[in-house]
Amino acid sequence: MSNVILFNLTTVLFGAASALYVSALYAKNEKIAVFGSRTCLLAAFVSTAALGVRWYESYRMGIGRIPVTNLYESLVFFAWSVNLFYLVVERKYANRTFGAFVMPIAFFTMLFAIKNDSSIEPLVPALQSYWLHAHVITCFVGYAAFAVSSGAALMYLLKSKQEAAKINDGIAGLLPSCKTLDDLIYRAIIWGFPFLTAGIVTGAAWANYAWGTYWSWDPKETWSLIVWLVYATYLHARITRGWHGRRAAILSIAGFAATVFCYLGVNLVLSGLHSYGS
Amino acid sequence: MEAVSEVRTGQVPPVVPAKHTPSPMDRWWNFFISVKLAIVTLIVLAATSILGTIIEQNLPPAKYHQIYEDWAFALMNRINLFDMYHSWWFLALLVLFTVNLTCCTIDRFPKMLKTVRNPRTKLDGSLEKTLSLSDRWKKKGTISDWAAKYSWALSAAFARPKVTEEGGEVHLYAETGVASRFGVYVTHLSIVIIFIGAILGNVAGFKGYVNIPEGESVSRVPVRGGSRTQDLGFTVRCNSFSLETYPGGQPKAYMSDLSVIEGGREVLRKTIVVNDPLQYKGIWFYQSSYGQTGGATAQVAVSRKDGTPIGALALAANEPVPVDGYGIVRGVNYEENFQGNGPALQVVVEKPGKPAENFWLFQGRADLDRQRNDSVVFSFGGLASKRFTGLQVARDPGVNVVWLGCALMVIGISMAFFLSHQRVWIRLARRQDGRVEVVLAGSASRNRIAFEKKFEKIQTSVKAVEK
Ligand code: HEM
Repeated sequence: MSNVILFNLTTVLFGAASALYVSALYAKNEKIAVFGSRTCLLAAFVSTAALGVRWYESYRMGIGRIPVTNLYESLVFFAWSVNLFYLVVERKYANRTFGAFVMPIAFFTMLFAIKNDSSIEPLVPALQSYWLHAHVITCFVGYAAFAVSSGAALMYLLKSKQEAAKINDGIAGLLPSCKTLDDLIYRAIIWGFPFLTAGIVTGAAWANYAWGTYWSWDPKETWSLIVWLVYATYLHARITRGWHGRRAAILSIAGFAATVFCYLGVNLVLSGLHSYGS
Repeated sequence: MEAVSEVRTGQVPPVVPAKHTPSPMDRWWNFFISVKLAIVTLIVLAATSILGTIIEQNLPPAKYHQIYEDWAFALMNRINLFDMYHSWWFLALLVLFTVNLTCCTIDRFPKMLKTVRNPRTKLDGSLEKTLSLSDRWKKKGTISDWAAKYSWALSAAFARPKVTEEGGEVHLYAETGVASRFGVYVTHLSIVIIFIGAILGNVAGFKGYVNIPEGESVSRVPVRGGSRTQDLGFTVRCNSFSLETYPGGQPKAYMSDLSVIEGGREVLRKTIVVNDPLQYKGIWFYQSSYGQTGGATAQVAVSRKDGTPIGALALAANEPVPVDGYGIVRGVNYEENFQGNGPALQVVVEKPGKPAENFWLFQGRADLDRQRNDSVVFSFGGLASKRFTGLQVARDPGVNVVWLGCALMVIGISMAFFLSHQRVWIRLARRQDGRVEVVLAGSASRNRIAFEKKFEKIQTSVKAVEK
């Protein structure tokens, strides 16, 4: 199917962009990074087209649905969001070094995606709900923002170590200032948090329409709450207790780790412990 | 680069009695309004929530005994680890969280309201020092002239200013996005509203599960996790259940055709599918599962000797079914292939005052039964297996309160994060050289980079004002 070919091409482009950004950082060569940006932009077009084609193909198959309903689709949607989010950040902050830390997330997500079943399957009854579509889209936009935030947090940790040691050459010299990074970590979370909140709410609405309970403390729900609590902690620690810098960056990384666990770990790890979640 | 820290100008820090040592009352109050407590509670809630996802909740005790040693089981059971989200200590954490949130709001909201109602409209020296965006210049002319002109320019470029005169100086103050200050409170209130909704649902609602075979009705529903049944106050009948599949064989839709019967009348009829429940008088019926009922029924048509139909019987095994003016019929036996003649049903007929008769009916062979030479003729149409539909039943009077809270939460968070309280001041004062000194300053509660650009525009358009 042509959508899968386009997604494979997207994977290659994400990989190329990641490689270009990382080598630009090592070679301290801005020209390479410019190529990275162009690759990202091309990948944005290709992956958007791929999503559109997949949607169209599902209609042609008589199934007709937004491509956000299985593991493969949610992964590619996530990678798509990370890429777009990244492009906005790159433009706003006029700095291409973020790419080396954020684009690999999109690339590895795609690598993982293409190992999964990519066929378009019809929706089982429980998944036939507009709430579900709203749920997946809001959640994954939120996750993408958290991914960008954790990328910036990683850069912060690198940079702050070297700033403290008064090293200003090497990679650290190219990275944005600690202040800028700290600000980006915060801002990405400010975008992610409302989306995650909306994601949890629409998920609850979906559960209510499908089963008559908006909250049942199942592991997936509980983990989404945990993620939400971690970021709520971040926000309050920062605003009212003035947490900046390393501690805040570590919280952002912990938040993203919890996010990844919520998305994949609950199904992969906890289902090994017991039968639900599969 | 902007100042990154989000210092809230115009916000008063929590009152701490400065002179004497705080009374126990004050100390408790300061404990409950502290954000430190909030952070600790949030972290503890997150950490304990993880436990409940690792230890599977609400299994039958026998299962836990297989997994854990006896002493571990006893200990974990003791501290409710097997139903931890409903344990006293988890609820206590939630209560602590809510009390913290409420006290914090009681402490801060009036102060915020006061600063919003009585903003600092005068740009005095101490305020000016805290503002990173400012500019000053001098003009010839009178203060009131310039005040009028700048007032007009500020209206056009930003917002209509409030004009204050004091000690020969004139202050202009304009603001937008004041709603941003309320976002936090809307968010916090929404959390309390959601909790209220959840409590309401737990106290005044119920959740149950019921199987209804096709053609049958229920008016009571077993409540989940208990031996109680709940009276619905009306009757629900399952007229039929059906199943649609995709060409590939995957299930496409489960559908139950349901009727609500009240006072002997059908008052509502709806075909429900997964994600589209039926609601009547606040009670919701959700398509949840389906299956085959245990016993099949034998379909038997009854007619007179001359062929005029009398009725159709559905005989469950050994269930006596009366036929008016004839007797009582029971299906007692079924053979897939009786003596090589295909499917057959053995029935027993009891007529008033006569010994019971028993004979076989062959599927689709009414002509054979005619040979019995009785007043009625039976025709066995085959076995029909019945399906049942499995329904989740719920009444949750708190659910709309929860949705209200959810909506407020999304709105509140968006207000807090995407709006920005932006303020601009202009001060006009006469200096010794006889000229008017103009000071322009501004601040924003959020997104300072965007505000810097906006401030530059305001600066340009204000400065462009000519005599
Ligand atoms: C998980 C639950 C909570 C959520 C979702 C939440 C949400 C928020 C949000 C969105 C903000 C605005 C942040 C900003 O301006 O950047 C905020 C600020 C704040 N929250 Fe919470 N909050 C929660 C729990 C609490 C609790 C339990 C307290 C108890 C003390 C609290 C106290 C505060 C304070 C003092 C502020 C700062 C207010 C200000 O800037 O004037 N929050 N909260």
